[in-house]
Amino acid sequence: MKPILEIESLKKHYGKSKNQTKALDGITFQVMPGEFLGIMGSSGSGKSTLLNCIATVIMPSSGNIIMNGKQIQTLKGAELADYRGKEIGYLFQNFELLDNLTGRENILLPLSLHGVSENESKKLLERLTSYLEVEDVLDKFPAQMSGGQKQRIAAARALILNPGIILADEPTGALDSKNAKALMEKLSGLNQNENATILMVTHDSNAASYCKRILFIQDGIICHELRRDTPDESQQDFYSRILKVVAQLGGGSANVL
Amino acid sequence: MFFKLIFRNSKRNRRENGLFFASLLIAIIAFYIILSLDNQDVMIFLKQMESNAVGKLMTIIPAFYGMALFILFFLIYYGSKYQLERHKHGFGVYLMMGMSRTKLFLMLLAEDFRNSIVSLIIGLPAAVLLSELISLITARLVGLGIVGHQISFSFNAVMWTAIGFILIKFIAFLILSGKISRKEIGSLLVETPDGVKVQKPAFVYALSILIGILCLAIAYILAIRGEAWLNLKNMGLTIILGIFGTFSFFYGIRFIIDLVVKNGKGNRQLYVFNFRQIQETVIHRSGTLAICSMLILAALCCFGAGVAITRSYGESEAHVLDYTFKNIENNDTEAVRQILEDNNLDVRFSDLFEMKVGHIETTKDYDNAFQMETVMSALRDMQPSDDRDVLLSNFKYDTYPYLISLSSYNELLTSAGLPNLELNTDEAAVYMDSAYTVYGRKKLLNSILDTNPLVYLDGKELYLTGTVQTTNLVTDRSITLSFALILSDDAFEYYTQGEYSIYLNGVLKKSETENTSLMSAISDMNKELRKTGLSYESYLQNMGRQLFYMVAASYITIYLAIIFLIIANTIIGVQFLISQQKAGKRYRTLIHLGAEYATICKSSGKQINWYFGIPTAVAAFSSLFGVRALFTGIVSSRARSNLNEMMIVSAAMILALCVIECIYIAVVKRSSDRYLLTLMVPEREE
Repeated sequence: MKPILEIESLKKHYGKSKNQTKALDGITFQVMPGEFLGIMGSSGSGKSTLLNCIATVIMPSSGNIIMNGKQIQTLKGAELADYRGKEIGYLFQNFELLDNLTGRENILLPLSLHGVSENESKKLLERLTSYLEVEDVLDKFPAQMSGGQKQRIAAARALILNPGIILADEPTGALDSKNAKALMEKLSGLNQNENATILMVTHDSNAASYCKRILFIQDGIICHELRRDTPDESQQDFYSRILKVVAQLGGGSANVL
Repeated sequence: MFFKLIFRNSKRNRRENGLFFASLLIAIIAFYIILSLDNQDVMIFLKQMESNAVGKLMTIIPAFYGMALFILFFLIYYGSKYQLERHKHGFGVYLMMGMSRTKLFLMLLAEDFRNSIVSLIIGLPAAVLLSELISLITARLVGLGIVGHQISFSFNAVMWTAIGFILIKFIAFLILSGKISRKEIGSLLVETPDGVKVQKPAFVYALSILIGILCLAIAYILAIRGEAWLNLKNMGLTIILGIFGTFSFFYGIRFIIDLVVKNGKGNRQLYVFNFRQIQETVIHRSGTLAICSMLILAALCCFGAGVAITRSYGESEAHVLDYTFKNIENNDTEAVRQILEDNNLDVRFSDLFEMKVGHIETTKDYDNAFQMETVMSALRDMQPSDDRDVLLSNFKYDTYPYLISLSSYNELLTSAGLPNLELNTDEAAVYMDSAYTVYGRKKLLNSILDTNPLVYLDGKELYLTGTVQTTNLVTDRSITLSFALILSDDAFEYYTQGEYSIYLNGVLKKSETENTSLMSAISDMNKELRKTGLSYESYLQNMGRQLFYMVAASYITIYLAIIFLIIANTIIGVQFLISQQKAGKRYRTLIHLGAEYATICKSSGKQINWYFGIPTAVAAFSSLFGVRALFTGIVSSRARSNLNEMMIVSAAMILALCVIECIYIAVVKRSSDRYLLTLMVPEREE
């Protein structure tokens, strides 16, 4: 099976040589289709920089990012816009819904941006909204929705163009635990039932326990990797293992490797 | 460091915000032009001609200046507001870093002051130059060779311009910086769009737009039927209905936009987004939009009125005579000719002839000296019309008309290059001064004259014949007759019993006016004539009077129109840019979702078109009625009778408006594109 996303010795350095910050210092990994990959690390570890590089928000200093066999650093103009819109679906921490558009209009926004007719996506829209349980709020404005509803609308928007991979940036960061759980169950369901590929950055161990594999980043390098032993390992057990790693990394004294 | 910051910021302000800087320059130029008005060539010339009227005009200049200050204050206010909004974030950062509010205030004040000075340094010379240019062009247009160009520079005007400008700038600054300094740091640091307001049920908006349309319709009807001009109450009602209707219309227009959003074809790129954006700005700014729309309407009406007034004075009768010598003692025209000859002036006239005008001296029965019952009954039988009623009521009083001798009138006709009249002793032609006739009335009367109606002059039968004569008897205003009879010389002598006045009319030789303008030829001649002590009037007065009305009307109305237009457009543009900036985050989201630069530029371009288009379209539509109402109300019936011409004037105005709007839209689009470009490098908010 070919990987959907390949990251090869990715580096991102800020500043000049003397007081240079190495946000990413040579990271290499692959994401296979249908994978639910979590990236964990403390603040400043470089996990957000990594996600931003993949989302083409920032340009890496060196290394390759290859999505479906295409090198994304070389994309420009229409190709870049297509990449952002169709190849990846981005889920923001603070939803980034347009507050003057209704839920439905927000979900359909990518279609309008990329010139896809609504009829084509009508079925997908119905399936997504019913799966994400947001049918009731489709005609409401974001201000009239709860945080969880907003994030699920945002999820529907990220999925409406059927992207190759979903990049989720702390998707539960602005949600209470109940809504966070609901969202994670939906995402994990998408991964299991629809074989959706998800790359999620988080520092919430609970959210991370829904993943199949977790990469831990510290000081710009991958320092640890956890794989859930599905289906034998329960989510609770996996969660405990994650906590252990987080505690060790947070303590900073011992290297689990 | 503090001063460096001020220096840098004010420089950046000017470079980044062309719209703001341009509005400052416009304010300066507007002030200077109005203040230096009495130094303009045309005004200097008119002071000699119509010193009274010019004096009156000049006394209202200070009031006008005050008004301009008041109006331009809004321009500066909105310009500065946008300016400060742009840099709100920076102010927040300064405060976060521990700059005291006083120091921030001082910094902003110094920046503002520096900008004002730079604007003055650039604006004043531009204003002087422009005023000079206007002076030269108007002088050229009206053919003022005589005055010789005088530099219109006025130190007073410069002083007052600077004072006025700095004053309104300072007041605007105080209000705005007061608002900014009261804000919390948090709200300075984060741009938040106005968001969704609490919505009332849709029928409220539908009702509002209906009421708006209804009010406007009533106002339009009152206006074009002329009922608004009947009395103050009607006028007040029309204006209040118009204003209320406009506000109500703009308040309810979200209903229509909502319909457009819901029923539109979603396939078009960012269609829904665009309309939601427009809807939001319209919802939050419906009052401002209504005001801007009314300002544009006021501008159009000013233009229309200015053009109409100018035209109605400009299109006066053809000019035939250059001089009329009056108050001739004992009707001894020979003596006048002799004096001219003695001074070697007679050779400068191509034509010198007598105009004989007198009263009926054969009877003292002033109420029945002249009877034209046949004409009156013919008029009464005609279809009712305004022109008919005017003629009927005027003719009631024409029982003792002036008489004009045929031979002298024929000489006038010859000078004018018109065919001569031929009358028998029992025939008369009707004369009406061109100031009293309009095309429609002449037509009515001519149709009656075709039947050669029988009338009675001092009890004797007389047949009216020919067409209504309107060539002016003298050069200016010594005599203007609303109704007179041209009689054959024998009949004239009989009815006047030899008691009549003689005016000596003169036409200057072509060679006199060939190499110089008519104005300078006449004013040269006047110098010579003054020495002779003759009593005369020249065409120059006539011209001066017309010129004064034309210049005064066109100056003031066009000036006001331009100011109104500029202010309305600047406010619309600035408001759009502010709201766009507040919605910056939305554009960032769009970019995240894969919007290209060209796509969001196109989207904001569409929003700009609509945002400008809605108030402009409403204003243009209202102006069709507004201009017609003005024509009905203030313009002479002569101009009114020409509906087609009016429509051409309106169309030309709307075209000019379109051009100006296009310029503004282009400028705002450029600003918006530049702003959007700064968003293209997306940053992730932590």
